[in-house]
Amino acid sequence: MLNLLRWLVFSIAVLAMNFPVIVTVITSFKSARELSFNPGFWIGEPTLENYTRVLGETDRFNIYGYLFNSTVASLIGTGLAIALAFPAAYAIARSEAGKRTLLPLIINLRAVPLIIFAIPLYMMYQWLGLLDTQLGLGLILTIVNTPLALVILVNAISDVPAELDEAAKMDGASSRQVMLMIIRPVVRPALVTTFIFGFITAWNEFLFGLMLTTNRAVPMTVGASFFFAASGGGVQWGTASAVMVLGALPPALLGLLMYRQISASLTAGAVKG
Amino acid sequence: MAIVKRAEGRAYLTPLVGFLLFFLGFPAAVNLVYSISTVSFETLRSPTLSGFGNYAAVLADREFWGAVSFSMRFGTLTALAECLIGLFLAVFLTPLLAKRSYLMAPLMLPLMVAPAMIGLMYRLVLHEFAGPVPYYLFEWFGDSPAFLDVDNAFRTLLVVEILQWTPFAFLLFYMAYAAIPLEVREAASLDGASALKALWWIELPLMLPTLVIAFFIRFIDGFRVFDNVYALTGSGAGGSATSLSIYIYQAFFKGGAIGKAVAASVVLFLASLAVLYGLNWITGRRRR
Repeated sequence: MLNLLRWLVFSIAVLAMNFPVIVTVITSFKSARELSFNPGFWIGEPTLENYTRVLGETDRFNIYGYLFNSTVASLIGTGLAIALAFPAAYAIARSEAGKRTLLPLIINLRAVPLIIFAIPLYMMYQWLGLLDTQLGLGLILTIVNTPLALVILVNAISDVPAELDEAAKMDGASSRQVMLMIIRPVVRPALVTTFIFGFITAWNEFLFGLMLTTNRAVPMTVGASFFFAASGGGVQWGTASAVMVLGALPPALLGLLMYRQISASLTAGAVKG
Repeated sequence: MAIVKRAEGRAYLTPLVGFLLFFLGFPAAVNLVYSISTVSFETLRSPTLSGFGNYAAVLADREFWGAVSFSMRFGTLTALAECLIGLFLAVFLTPLLAKRSYLMAPLMLPLMVAPAMIGLMYRLVLHEFAGPVPYYLFEWFGDSPAFLDVDNAFRTLLVVEILQWTPFAFLLFYMAYAAIPLEVREAASLDGASALKALWWIELPLMLPTLVIAFFIRFIDGFRVFDNVYALTGSGAGGSATSLSIYIYQAFFKGGAIGKAVAASVVLFLASLAVLYGLNWITGRRRR
């Protein structure tokens, strides 16, 4: 009896929390004609026309461009964050440097609203010619991803027994070799998690995409909002839904595939941080 | 002795530190200078120092205090609701989820979708002609409120934020709840404690650090909210949906009031430092 109640609560929670996603997916399979009289939860005549239009007619709204920009910027933002955070994490876990001041400082960075840096960054980007470039957006996403990457990697490396390093050093390996050839393979799962989580975070970022890109480097989240703004009052909801589903799909798929690792790293980042 | 020498460790830290100094340290310095300068888009590169006029202008701006109030209320209420619902779900659903971990996936899905995208999705959900919510409300009750007008926008945005981020709090509590050692639970039940009593007197106190941390994380995120509010309402709804982040964005991009926007940024920075200091103080005290 109590178990039945648990299933009921679970179902309500899942439906309520995923409600906008469910509605959008349903709407994306409805024709414009059907939508005009049926905004409800059932689909009378399922159709793929919204998807073929979004993916086929790219002269006015080029979804491939947005998807590509998001992919490139997110890859830069994730790859660079790991490249910077991994050696730093190794140093923090294995030497005296950085543990007392730097680590807490960078962890706290996660709680600082990044918008306070947005205006000077905008001006800086103007001088550097980084406005509206995938690289420029990627560099900002690196900052967004760095704190959690550092926490996850410091935790992972600290969990590796130091005897492993010592043995390699006995055999004449340098710290650099130990870091790259011993530690890196051992903490590979943590690196993968960091990458997945960072990629999702980067893909879903909106504020800096909105401020720092206008045309050539616009990411998917901002592009989707353009789609609404451009169509003014007469939004074609079926097509708009297809845009949102396609734009949300990459991080959602990654997340659903890797939800175990992500939940573990989220918790580690929050609690140990 | 540490395995890596201090000097070598410093060398490994250098790229990260350099990167952060360039991309955050430099902007922070620019913020400070510009916040006490007269500056416009035409004179971006040659600001003239002018004292604390920008701060005075910000602190005298009623819209600024409106935004502060919005952010405070929004952060507090969403964090509170997310933690309460998340805690309930974690405790109540644990027997169900412990054996079937795949059930976690649909509960975590909202965390994978961009808040901006969720904001856009609610434009559809709440749309008076195409949205299912007004449609069914009309069908069943013959009336549907204007979810995004001045009176209702705040409440609507609360619900949007809470529904998306309750899974985060839930996840933290679920993990913390599962991490309570079995012996503790057994000892409690041997002593004749009922499930409710064990929860209140033993399990919740053990989870308290996680509760505090989750509340603060969610408060900070709610306080600085931008994406979903902006995507759903613009900033619109008659200014009834202006968070502090949106205030800064608009002062800069729409108003061109750079000095004011920057001064507001510095105020926000100081406020977030105060919150962080408070949090570190609380967690630091617990550790001792």
